[in-house]
Amino acid sequence: MKLITIELKKIQTYRTFWIIFGLYFGFLALGIIMAEFMVNAMVDDVNKRLPIPLPHAVLFNFPDIWQNLTFFASIRYVLIFPAIVIIILTTNEFSYKTVRQNVVNGMSRNEFIFAKLQIVLLLTLVITFILTLVMFILGLIHSDSQSLTMMFDKFRFVFGFFVQMLTFLCFAFFVGFIFRHTGLAIALFTLYVLIIEPVIYFVFRAPFMWENTIYTYLPVNSVVRVVEYPAIPALERLMDFQLQGEVTLLSCAIPILYSVVMIAIVYWSFNRKDL
Amino acid sequence: METILLINQLSKRYGRIQAVNQLSLEVAKGQVFGILGPNGSGKTTTLSMVLDLVRPDNGTFEWFEETPTKESRKRIGAVIETPNFFPYLSARKNLEIVAKVKGYDYNDIDHTLEVAGLFDRRHDKFKTYSFGMKQRLAIASALLNQPEVMILDEPTNGLDPQGIAQVRELILQVAKEGITIILASHLLDEVQKICDHVAVLNKGNCLFAGEVHEVLAISDCIELAAEDNQTLKEAIESHPGFKSLTETDGIIMAVFSDNIPPGKVNDYLQQKGITLTHLSERKRTLEQHFLELLKDNPS
Repeated sequence: MKLITIELKKIQTYRTFWIIFGLYFGFLALGIIMAEFMVNAMVDDVNKRLPIPLPHAVLFNFPDIWQNLTFFASIRYVLIFPAIVIIILTTNEFSYKTVRQNVVNGMSRNEFIFAKLQIVLLLTLVITFILTLVMFILGLIHSDSQSLTMMFDKFRFVFGFFVQMLTFLCFAFFVGFIFRHTGLAIALFTLYVLIIEPVIYFVFRAPFMWENTIYTYLPVNSVVRVVEYPAIPALERLMDFQLQGEVTLLSCAIPILYSVVMIAIVYWSFNRKDL
Repeated sequence: METILLINQLSKRYGRIQAVNQLSLEVAKGQVFGILGPNGSGKTTTLSMVLDLVRPDNGTFEWFEETPTKESRKRIGAVIETPNFFPYLSARKNLEIVAKVKGYDYNDIDHTLEVAGLFDRRHDKFKTYSFGMKQRLAIASALLNQPEVMILDEPTNGLDPQGIAQVRELILQVAKEGITIILASHLLDEVQKICDHVAVLNKGNCLFAGEVHEVLAISDCIELAAEDNQTLKEAIESHPGFKSLTETDGIIMAVFSDNIPPGKVNDYLQQKGITLTHLSERKRTLEQHFLELLKDNPS
């Protein structure tokens, strides 16, 4: 508890933190509001060329809402906001040299790492909780009365999202500790997430999108793939295959494995390097 | 006497630079211990190693006669190089973090801020502080909850004369309360005014360690002059105990080893047929001794 109290003190009145965090939720809300509208605009467009029109997508009814909103909340453009928060909180310690002061004042290096991991976990829990609450309320508004089992049928996607957020923030934690400079770390992380991995996708893409390639196992894509598709029947009819019904343990295991390796590297290097 | 810090053969190399070379030191309880040396002599590296910031290549150290742990660091108040605080947090919040890390409650924070003269500005962000205020906050944070040892690294660097006086006053006051102080500085008069023990460092080597007043009592510098200074110089240089000499305004300042008294030097010169027009013994300041040590150990 002591470590997390210290970490919370560091962000309590940190305006940059709250602005980015607010931006994230604003961006997320906008995405959620726009999602149904955009998907249906697409369906309308396709329907012009189809003899039997596809049904309109309904994103916010139980139990599909769990899958749909966790899908939209875990696309890489959205995930990157909380990741940048973690990078800033980590690299700040190096640019302000407060990591030195923490160690001088009697924090062990492992405690310092552990404190940052606690913030990663706390941020993940808060985001997952808020998103779950939003999904629950939206679901209630948009669904007819349903049995509880039916309502929470796809709740596994919330656990999937939790794994996605946790592992993605662990990547950010890793980048922050390794590069130490705020600007450099954010630039390299953004470059990798938004440009380098997508480029690798195009270079190695398979003839069918559901076939696995090297790209499938890259760190960021392994995170994104946990909740890979939304539950939109129109989309499935269009693609002609069952998109995704489950969050599989295997798909969660890959990003978790990456995170464990990254934390181990941080542990190893941070304990050896000078501060 | 209880040993506070014991450094044994500590070494650190950065690439081609040997920052600290087999340094051994001992600081006893209640001492005001100065680590004196020019910039780049290894002062900060040494302090960083004993505070677990920098990993030594070789050697060991002990705090409070025990193998150092994070718990021993909690008994130390230290400021290394610049004041390290979160710029966007207030002084009060920054000190709360310090207290929390050390495992204290917040009861001593207001008092500490008063001692540092920052109580009225305690809710202002650290980045709005002047340099002097930042430095005072750093010292205040080191003083929080009465540590057993205070470590200060160039505490008056960059301060105006008034700020320097305030900080020195504060340190002396702390020393009076019996807190052991380790002070790194490149300023001789600072060490002279504040410290009772000193270690002189150059290029990572410890040239000299001892009590400051012993260093100040050294009187092996002799002023000489004669009708013909050229012959005099040659004669002095031929003396077996000769170490170095400088000439300014017709007066030769000579240093001999083993504190040879001026009378003996005079006898020696008279044997050489030189009559002195001027002879006096000069107590050397720490500064001269320091420069002397640096000259003798150019490594």
